Amino acid sequence: MKATIATEWLSGCSGCHVAVVDLHEKLLGLLENVEFVRIPVLMDEKDYPEADIGIVEGAVRSEHDRVALKKMRSKVKTLIAFGTCAVYGGPSGIGWLHESSDVMNCAYRSGPTNSGTESPDMNAVPLEECVVPIDEVVPVDIYLPGCPPHPYFIAAAIKAVLDPCAPRITGKPVCSDCTRKMRKSENITLKRGELTAEDQEICFLSQGVVCLGSVTLNRCLAPCPKRGTACSGCAGPSLDIVNEPQLDIRTLVAKRMNMLTGIDTTDVTSYIEQNAKTFYAYALASPAIYKKPTVEIMEWTGETTKLN
Amino acid sequence: MITISIDEKACVSCSLCVDICPTKVFSFNSVKDLPEVALPKECFGCLSCSEICPSDAIQHTGAALSSCFHHDTYCTNIVSKLAVSEPASFEDIASATGLDEAMRDISVRLLSVGTVLKDVVGAGLPSVGLMAGRSLATQLPRYRPPKNLEEAFELAIKEFAPAWGLEFKQDSDNLKVCVKECFVRGLCKQENISLGGELCVLFFNYLSGYLGKMSKTQLKLVTAERSAESCSYEVKIMHR
Repeated sequence: MKATIATEWLSGCSGCHVAVVDLHEKLLGLLENVEFVRIPVLMDEKDYPEADIGIVEGAVRSEHDRVALKKMRSKVKTLIAFGTCAVYGGPSGIGWLHESSDVMNCAYRSGPTNSGTESPDMNAVPLEECVVPIDEVVPVDIYLPGCPPHPYFIAAAIKAVLDPCAPRITGKPVCSDCTRKMRKSENITLKRGELTAEDQEICFLSQGVVCLGSVTLNRCLAPCPKRGTACSGCAGPSLDIVNEPQLDIRTLVAKRMNMLTGIDTTDVTSYIEQNAKTFYAYALASPAIYKKPTVEIMEWTGETTKLN
Repeated sequence: MITISIDEKACVSCSLCVDICPTKVFSFNSVKDLPEVALPKECFGCLSCSEICPSDAIQHTGAALSSCFHHDTYCTNIVSKLAVSEPASFEDIASATGLDEAMRDISVRLLSVGTVLKDVVGAGLPSVGLMAGRSLATQLPRYRPPKNLEEAFELAIKEFAPAWGLEFKQDSDNLKVCVKECFVRGLCKQENISLGGELCVLFFNYLSGYLGKMSKTQLKLVTAERSAESCSYEVKIMHR
């Protein structure tokens, strides 16, 4: 008998669902073993049918998300938190730093392209006061971060759920799949605000560009650094950072850059702190990051001025 | 004995492991463009190579993990459910979150830090607690700052649990803070230290700095009662 899969999207961009469709012909192989009973991107099923595997994309941002998520949990046996938003809160986690009324104002009223008169509060579900990863609402069985997770890992994760003996997926950082070589270099200065570097064979850190590949879990097969753009950390922090309270994104990157190029560690850490909303964008709403004793997001982003 | 294996496919040839190893276990093979384990017997399992390795390519077997470090159960839960291929060492950590050991470790440090602070800053001790509390209020992220004192109290009760059980009773500008569960009191009892010492002073001021920063007020201590079951503080609220 085929295993059944139901999926649901909460506050996300639906990119993770598109990644499921991106399995292409692999999807046909997968469909020999599983059957989708609910997938909003492919079929019109409003109800929540019983299923063996539940896949949830997106963070909990509105009341609708909370209700939908609880319904999903009650109907499925194994729940997969799918994509960085579901696992760590994702980019919408930056909403932690602002009141939800400010977020609505900025998006719908005061923005330069808005008329300033229309507001979505007539029929839209109201926002909750903060963004939370789905595991703060219901228990989660498998976490699959990635923005979106590469189809390779989606297939592997579903296989791992269906068959306990199936090979597990990698727990290494993005660097493990990157083709660039990390070299020591001299006379390098920190290149602020740059996402790319001249030499295509050499690691970004060796060229003074901040790349988050070494502190990010590999759920993407490293497409960005292979094609010339520094990693933005979209799959969330690497396992050692999640697990060890004393390790942090900015200090680890700074230490590695310092050992490779001699750039002062405080230069790198202060640069990352100044741009905390960019470098901590994907996992800001997760207790795994914001509860770290060294992470002072409110202070770095200047949001503490509200407190004074 | 500790055995070290290097995942040659994952390695990015940075040679940081060669630089960081305190006992020079690694050497760099420039022909293969890979590090090699040259002196495996020298490894004493500090795992600094594993920490600095950008691609997590170095695996140790037989190294004793420092389980007495406290690991947050929320984080170990995520790590144990990522369906990853090498969960062995992380599973060990997840099973030993070591909260008791971590608490014991912190207790010893707290006692000595308290004594040192008292000796060094003397009468400035309350200010140290106050400053620490204020920085806590700015450090813990929350979706929005509390709008009034009541919200600040609610947040404080939540943030200080379970090590501290706090109760607040407010009557206009007079506030009564009742501390039922208290980590410091437990520590004092265990070490036979009388209440009201430097740790109590530090904690009260820490709490008052935290509440004051969040609620934009200043809290001034009027009287303090301490007993083995619970401590209570009469506080005057000064609006800024």
